[in-house]
Amino acid sequence: MRQRRIRWGMLDSALLLLCVGALAYLGYRVEIGLEYRWNWSVIPQYLLRYDEIDGWVPNLLLQGLLTTIRLSFWSLLLALPIGLASGLLRASVHLFNRLLGGCYVSLLRNLPPLVLVLIFYFFVSDQVLPYLKIPALLADAPQPLYRFLTLCMAPPDQLEAFIAAVITLAMLEGAYIGEIVRAGINSIETGQWEAAQALGLRRWQLMRHIVLPQAFQRMIPPLAGQVISTIKDSAIVSVISIQELTFQGMELMASTYLTFEVWTTVTILYFVLTYGCSRCADRLEARLLQS
Amino acid sequence: MSKRTLLMLLGLFLFTAPLWGAETRQELVRQGTLEQIVEKNRIRVGFSTFVPWAMKDKKGGYTGYEIEVAGQLAEDMGVEIDFVPTKWSGIIPALLTGKFDIIIGGMGITPQRNLKVNFSEPYEYTGMSIIANRKLAGGLSGLEAFNTPETTIVARIGTTAAAAAKKFLPNAQLNLFDDEGQALQEVLNQRAAAMVSSQPFPEFQALKYPDRLYLPLAGKTFTREPIGFAIRKGDVDFLNYLNNWIRVKNADNWLQERYDYWFTTQDWKDRIE
Repeated sequence: MRQRRIRWGMLDSALLLLCVGALAYLGYRVEIGLEYRWNWSVIPQYLLRYDEIDGWVPNLLLQGLLTTIRLSFWSLLLALPIGLASGLLRASVHLFNRLLGGCYVSLLRNLPPLVLVLIFYFFVSDQVLPYLKIPALLADAPQPLYRFLTLCMAPPDQLEAFIAAVITLAMLEGAYIGEIVRAGINSIETGQWEAAQALGLRRWQLMRHIVLPQAFQRMIPPLAGQVISTIKDSAIVSVISIQELTFQGMELMASTYLTFEVWTTVTILYFVLTYGCSRCADRLEARLLQS
Repeated sequence: MSKRTLLMLLGLFLFTAPLWGAETRQELVRQGTLEQIVEKNRIRVGFSTFVPWAMKDKKGGYTGYEIEVAGQLAEDMGVEIDFVPTKWSGIIPALLTGKFDIIIGGMGITPQRNLKVNFSEPYEYTGMSIIANRKLAGGLSGLEAFNTPETTIVARIGTTAAAAAKKFLPNAQLNLFDDEGQALQEVLNQRAAAMVSSQPFPEFQALKYPDRLYLPLAGKTFTREPIGFAIRKGDVDFLNYLNNWIRVKNADNWLQERYDYWFTTQDWKDRIE
């Protein structure tokens, strides 16, 4: 694909001036209209702090960002198989399977995520997680596993809450991913199905070798959107006191009353993360198109 | 069944009944939070961020009056401590579902809350005060002056400050916010005339924004609220331990001393920023 050379015209200059002017006016209004004493100088120490022993270490906000990344990573890892299963169920030839998948998807999609998170945390996780006996397992765990868990998931004392949050998010995102998978499967032309059947492929062979590989390529753009959406949705679990970015930001605001500085910083951190992800998705898509 | 066997069975029952009672009691003690804490060598403390009760410090840990109280309690019990920061609006359900053992978070003792949780004796008292916007409230003084329908009052949701605002300022419009920073911002931005909050928040803010905010009650409080530890119901042993701990700490004046440090000075400010 050849790109046309971009020429800088009068209209572009005018638009640029207009944008800068609008931003300057906004800044001016904030300065005049908002009775607020800005104090940006204390924010950097909440990102990184100097420790006598360890040197530079991430502080509250960066720790929160790391937790957000871990949370999103594990929920997505769990949501993808859930979504694939629900998508396959929804596209199944059997009525029972379709009803099962449909039940899951319509239940999860029609509840506000916030309500779902609260219900799941206070009721469901309470009935299920104690049986896993996580604290007892951790007490006997060898040191490397201990370090691995702390590094990749959460510190042992927060692990139970973290797992509850991961499962909730995965269930929620799984419903949306399921619909993406179903749409992907349904978008494959009937000719492909018929050809595969004519070759004598069984249903699952047909899915595995013909339909899913093609569907996967078409699913990439909406899946990338869902990944970004998961990162954003992870902010919801701040209500159950998972110490991710939003929660840490709100704690910091309650401690320092630096409402706008902290929110602005949190916004920028989220944007950097999600924008990075969407650029990666764009490149992945471009590469898949080439091959 | 003959009369004799019946009598023997009755006798057996009468002899063993006290034994069952003792067993039940031992079981109760063993299941109690106190024993569980000692057994696990770990007390989990739930709290929410309130200045200066409990705050994030700049090293990523926690600091504040309640944090010191909790730390001392754990030290006296000889166990490790886990701090579980929790949103104030969900703190009681979290306690009831066992996410932590105790709330040490400046929780005011109220009859409504007491229906759901047990409170220890008060280990400190707090009071409500108001802080007002100079331009909007324009030198109104006294609480009654704010009790008019055209006055907007803000407070933090779910706190005793919100309850006090409803009770003492029934005619004013009340807007509730999730944390104190947002509520204060409403007053600073002249969208609300005043904010109801527990001491010493109003004083500290009046010192920070002397040209915009003032204290209509001149530093006095209009309520006096007892603050206690909150624990799950039905746990006599733990409650007894806490009450006596408070007695001991009151007797050697430790509680008062720490209270004065956190509530009447701002020496701790550099731990936060």
